[in-house]
Amino acid sequence: MRRAVYLSAIPVLAAAIFISTGAHAGVAEGKKAFEARKCASCHQVAGPAAEKTIKDQLSKKGPELWYSGSKFKAGFLEKWRADPRPIRPLAYNSVTERNTGGHPMLSGQEKADVAAYLMSLKSADVKPLGIQAADNPKGRIAFVRKHSCYGCHQVRTRGSLVGGFSGPSLAEASERLNPDWVYAYLSKPSVFKPVKMMPVYAGIINDAEMKGLAAYVGSLR
Amino acid sequence: MTIRLLMPALVFFALGAGIPAYAATAEENYRFHCAQCHGLEGKGNGINATREMPVSPRDHTSALEMGKLTDADIINAITDGGRRQASRASCRRTENTFKNEIPRIEGLSEEALQLQGR
Ligand code: HEC
Ligand code: HEC
Ligand code: HEC
Repeated sequence: MRRAVYLSAIPVLAAAIFISTGAHAGVAEGKKAFEARKCASCHQVAGPAAEKTIKDQLSKKGPELWYSGSKFKAGFLEKWRADPRPIRPLAYNSVTERNTGGHPMLSGQEKADVAAYLMSLKSADVKPLGIQAADNPKGRIAFVRKHSCYGCHQVRTRGSLVGGFSGPSLAEASERLNPDWVYAYLSKPSVFKPVKMMPVYAGIINDAEMKGLAAYVGSLR
Repeated sequence: MTIRLLMPALVFFALGAGIPAYAATAEENYRFHCAQCHGLEGKGNGINATREMPVSPRDHTSALEMGKLTDADIINAITDGGRRQASRASCRRTENTFKNEIPRIEGLSEEALQLQGR
């Protein structure tokens, strides 16, 4: 009982323990379900990033999931799998067509197993720095004005969605993204997205500002 | 007029950077990196050009607007982000980006050229 509470409080650690001991069926079952449902026809689940050209990126049908366990917050996947509302305003790889939704849904045990499987996929390039989500003024100014992140990413201000459309929506990023991953994503662009529509900020935004931005993004509701 | 203006920039890029065998074409580069704001046809009406955007992306097909720019301005807009706050934040694609797979910018000016010709 005590052990169960401990594990559910630290699902990330739990997933790691499960793989190493094989004690939990979730990860293995989830992997099976992922294959059976042909999720891999659109999602890359084994790293590292393989794309080298724009053509490689444009031939992808969905976002990479090989670092899911480092990217997503615990609980997000299960919630989203049951109600997959659009995250990217536009259809994947399009700069004109809207994302009309309709992502395959999962439910019940399968949903939990697939979430456990995806959360077991980690990237060693995401260090556990413990960056805390926080709405900080420097991060906000960098996001809105200085680097115009919001020119491509939606955020919610005073209840309404504002911002550009070409990037994934960052409204509700606080429920979805791990700030340590956001920092890694910004500081090591070639690890996660070597061919990207987003500008590269490594070398342009200094380390402290980048951490502030990661904390700010992680706080968006 | 604008074509002549852009041509030297093109030559500059072509000389300045060797084009790797896997180089993306001008059109691919432009569509991938710039169209999200400047529009697929370069008219400055990409999907991100919303009303809240403080400054509209430059219309690359406008001889009037593009005529105001020197070659150096165009090169700057892409490698350094240009003189202005909005383009500095938005247009810049660093060496990092290009080192991996994108053969620098020659194609982008070339694409702008093609757009002028339409
Ligand atoms: C036809 C291609 C396709 C298939 C099949 C598919 N997906 Fe997706 N998936 C996408 C696209 C496109 C998105 C982006 C959706 C969005 O942003 O709203 C996505 C998003 C996701 C995300 C969120 C990732 C992120 O970074 O936002 C997860 C998790 C996911 N899919 C899991 C699955 C699972 C599990 C399956 C199998 C049941 C599956 N997908 C099947 C195309 C696909
Ligand atoms: C020119 C448009 C553009 C700008 C400006 C931009 N982004 Fe992005 N961003 C994107 C796109 C498009 C993606 C999806 C991956 C890709 O193709 O680059 C993305 C992906 C992301 C992701 C990953 C989201 C996910 O769920 O996978 C984060 C986090 C992010 N951007 C943060 C930022 C921050 C912080 C800034 C400002 C410093 C910024 N972006 C500026 C277009 C942009
Ligand atoms: C996030 C949106 C965005 C993206 C992506 C973008 N631009 Fe821009 N661009 C702008 C805006 C906004 C301006 C207007 C700046 C101003 O007038 O102050 C601009 C202006 C320009 C100018 C004129 C610069 C000047 O000094 O007047 C050039 C040239 C340009 N962009 C080229 C490009 C190229 C080439 C790309 C692709 C590599 C690109 N842009 C990508 C938004 C963008």
